[in-house]
Amino acid sequence: MPLPEKARRNNRKVGLMALSLAVAMLGLGYASVPLYRIFCQVTGFGGTPQIASEAKAAAVNVTGETISVRFDSNIAPDMPWQFKPEQVTETAQLGERKIAFYIARNNSDKPVTGQASYNVEPEQAAPYFNKIQCFCFTKQTLQPGEEVRMPVTYYVDPAILKDENAKGVEQITLSYTFHNLHESGS
Amino acid sequence: MNFGETLRTTVTSLKALSLGLVGAVPLALLPKAAFAQEAAAPAAEATPAAEAAAAAPAYVPLGPDMIKGQPEPGAIWLQKQYSPIGHDASWMHDVVLTPVIIGIVVLVLALLLFVMIRFNRRANPVPSKTSHNTLLEVLWTGVPILILVLIAVPSLNLLAEQYKSAPKDALTVKVTGYQWYWGYTYPDNGGFEVISNMMPEEEAKAKGFPSHLEVDHRMVVPVGVPIRIQTTAADVIHSFAVPSLWFKLDAVPGRLNEKVLQIDEPGIYYGQCSELCGVRHGYMPIAVEAVSQEKFEQWIQSQGGEMPGKAAAAPAAPAAAATPAAAPAPAEIATPGAA
Amino acid sequence: MATIADTFQAHSEEHHHDADHKPGFFARWFMSTNHKDIGTLYLIFAIFAGIVGGAISGVMREELREPGIQVLGKVAMLLNGGAVDFDQQLHLWNVLITAHGLIMVFFLVMPAVIGGFGNWFVPIMIGAPDMAFPRMNNISFWLTVMGFCSLMISPFMSGGTGNGAGVGWTVYAPLSTTGSQGPAMDFAIFALHLAGASSIMGAINFITTIFNMRAPGMTLHKMPLFVWSVLVTAFLLLLALPVLAAAITMLLTDRNFGTTFFDAAGGGDPILYQHLFWFFGHPEVYIMILPAFGIISQIISTFSRKPVFGYLGMAYAMVAIGVVGFIVWAHHMYTVGLDVNTKMYFTAATMVIAVPTGIKIFSWIATMWGGSLEFKSPMVWAIGFIFLFTVGGVTGVVLANGGIDDVVHDTYYVVGHFHYVLSLGAVTALFAGFYYWFPKMSGKMHSELLAHIQFWIFFVGVNMIFFPMHFLGLQGMPRRYPDYTAAYQYWNEIATYGYYIMALSLVVFFINIIYAFVAGKKAADNYWGEGATTLEWTLSSPPPFHQFETLPVIKDEGHH
Repeated sequence: MPLPEKARRNNRKVGLMALSLAVAMLGLGYASVPLYRIFCQVTGFGGTPQIASEAKAAAVNVTGETISVRFDSNIAPDMPWQFKPEQVTETAQLGERKIAFYIARNNSDKPVTGQASYNVEPEQAAPYFNKIQCFCFTKQTLQPGEEVRMPVTYYVDPAILKDENAKGVEQITLSYTFHNLHESGS
Repeated sequence: MNFGETLRTTVTSLKALSLGLVGAVPLALLPKAAFAQEAAAPAAEATPAAEAAAAAPAYVPLGPDMIKGQPEPGAIWLQKQYSPIGHDASWMHDVVLTPVIIGIVVLVLALLLFVMIRFNRRANPVPSKTSHNTLLEVLWTGVPILILVLIAVPSLNLLAEQYKSAPKDALTVKVTGYQWYWGYTYPDNGGFEVISNMMPEEEAKAKGFPSHLEVDHRMVVPVGVPIRIQTTAADVIHSFAVPSLWFKLDAVPGRLNEKVLQIDEPGIYYGQCSELCGVRHGYMPIAVEAVSQEKFEQWIQSQGGEMPGKAAAAPAAPAAAATPAAAPAPAEIATPGAA
Repeated sequence: MATIADTFQAHSEEHHHDADHKPGFFARWFMSTNHKDIGTLYLIFAIFAGIVGGAISGVMREELREPGIQVLGKVAMLLNGGAVDFDQQLHLWNVLITAHGLIMVFFLVMPAVIGGFGNWFVPIMIGAPDMAFPRMNNISFWLTVMGFCSLMISPFMSGGTGNGAGVGWTVYAPLSTTGSQGPAMDFAIFALHLAGASSIMGAINFITTIFNMRAPGMTLHKMPLFVWSVLVTAFLLLLALPVLAAAITMLLTDRNFGTTFFDAAGGGDPILYQHLFWFFGHPEVYIMILPAFGIISQIISTFSRKPVFGYLGMAYAMVAIGVVGFIVWAHHMYTVGLDVNTKMYFTAATMVIAVPTGIKIFSWIATMWGGSLEFKSPMVWAIGFIFLFTVGGVTGVVLANGGIDDVVHDTYYVVGHFHYVLSLGAVTALFAGFYYWFPKMSGKMHSELLAHIQFWIFFVGVNMIFFPMHFLGLQGMPRRYPDYTAAYQYWNEIATYGYYIMALSLVVFFINIIYAFVAGKKAADNYWGEGATTLEWTLSSPPPFHQFETLPVIKDEGHH
């Protein structure tokens, strides 16, 4: 009744191959977290804006065309801050390096550390929206009652005009949501 | 006449029937024509309204007679569409997809019935041994591909159309999903937020509105112009959906989504949260109130908001109001007068 | 085909005496390593889980019969053992929809078609004495049972507002993470882990069995289509389930250990969970339906007394469905905010699936064409399957269009669609397979009359439940709602009456089983006659405890 040894060895071989396939997929499941992030950063998928170096930003030519940029702000429900853009919209020339400010204020009586998540809409414009510097790149800590202006420097790549899907976009929205990291940061 | 249209006609007549039902509310007893007649005197109505707005902003929300987008009892088809995208998409559904899928089902059913009658054991005691026919196999692979390509062309066009983004001076409404209500923020009008809860069932019924759909404060928008709808959520994922405007967009915490919305005529359009968001998922309806540009400005004032750059908006606003909304607009200004 | 039968009859007779030696009751049913016994256990388990899941549907349909909250309060009081507030009643609704979905998918359809029929007939059909890893087979089964227990514990644990996990079978973050307090959610997730591990082991077992243990001469291209379907399914399981396992493990750590894989607050993305879930979730629907395809192919061929038309096309259509099934997942996510190119891609890719599916439908009809059709109960159920599956399939073509999905996404249209392909498709195939093989498994004939009666009652009932759902969906009724506005009442009421008709058909089903065991005639080896040509028909009914100890040799050139 038991299988001959040779057949059992063969079965073990195929079984292990199948198992390693499953393990590989499990690994891929976890690997998808960083892979997805990189994919979004590279392609602008999900409305992820580009991050540009100073050098890259300097190399872009300013063209005559303009585009409207809208600034949106949100705070997570457990975040005791006020957080608003200084300007709701502004007009930027394509390729022009601009700086915009958000005002954040800690309304609680404790220091609060937060970090902002962000995305760009419409999504087809995301690959052309470049941030050079942003308060969202790092954690921010505000002392009780402290109010700060938080800058973001950006430009819109003129290549947007060559993109069939994105060239009709007249206004790009940059949205931030500030989350409480629940750290007792100083 | 194709099947889709036939069904549409059925639905329309059902809609007429149900309008009659809504007519139980005394206000709405007047047939539609009556409102049109009152439209003859819009100026008389408008002036006091403007004065009122100047003194103390008064805005009277639309009444049950202006309900346009809502489900109909026993209806079997799409809700009537009130947006340009809705017209194109429902055409795609009714004229392209429906005939194709009904055709396929009828074909399969007919073939099944035929083989059951023709090749049952009594009719055909000796089975053939045929198990291949290259031509047939190529055909039933090729023809479906062809049909799918024919469907794909209008389908992809429709998608492209849906992704046209709103012009830069379009009104922006930011829709925030909360557990379990909606917030409508108007960032260009001072950034005030309207909190919208479901109207209690009894109150809605008493006022002549559909229960489970009516809210205490509606999302008010101008008619006939593209509106930039941006959605986000404060806690879990919600979905902002209005079937009669062919609009559905998830509201995801930590990110913003955007889509353009344009409404053909003044009226009330109902929708419901369409992503499971917890206990009261079924009790956070959406009501969109589309009004003329003037009335919209009146509403903004009543909320303590302001129109962006008064001077700049002036040329744009009348232009928008003049063309598509001219005819229906006076009619609905007359409505509060009737009340 | 008769040549095969002659070849093996001799073998199985020869070994009959020592082949039927069975272990004692406990060892046989609790430590079983016999593929037929494990298959039987799976079937009994699936029927039990199906009763639980079906009863939940009953509560849901009764609640939806009219607007307002009627029965949830009573059920919630029963479960909580005391007074409940309104929110707890609503929470119970979410618990019910979650449990219904998870039970039907993971504990009814999958155990029945793969664990039950797969275990019983794959080894026999390829001429193998048993599965490749009989002991792992036993572990698979008991893991499924443990998963079910974990899922059944969940409704009695705290889930925030009330007891139980109320997040839908998709378990979307952040509702399932920050949105659900209490251990109920963890138990539900753990249930998925167990069921998933069980299925992965099962998949490894089937793949090894089918690749290594075929009898001499049983080449891949001679395998019956049911074996092909299980092979493709096993690969789908192997590739899809680990991704689910990863995703729900991340949910667990997000919930309990402060990670932020799907939480925007820590740089995570809730949309990523949806991508991962549907990367598993879409192949999952093929995992449920492909074995059903296999069963239907066997039955149609048997009762047409013809080999399956276009055997290779049928086999590779399943492979194609499996492959394409992995690259269409985001059509479940059209409204999350995808960019235009992504949506266009997924629209086009999804429509491609209609092609191999069409090949299958037409090939079944072509198999019947020119055949000598006998309308025994399995055949009637199989023809019912073809029709119902077609109806479910064409609404899938509508849903595939990203631009149309904007209005029907997450409405009852979608509920109608997937119940037509699963509840009416996969479950109809389950009944077809059950009546086809029940006498082979039990050795007792069921009543053909009752089987036919059950079909017609079931057919009327399920269509009455699910067809009106398309109307409700087109009218905009969202899914997962316990309550609705008056306009939706008409079709909801009809659907609820349909449920009672469907339930009556299940009564007939159970009467039929009881009848078979009490008064059923003894089943012959090949009770369906000359159309039934696969290897199980060469064995006795029920087959000997150990079959094919001397491997059969396949000489015949024909396909099955």
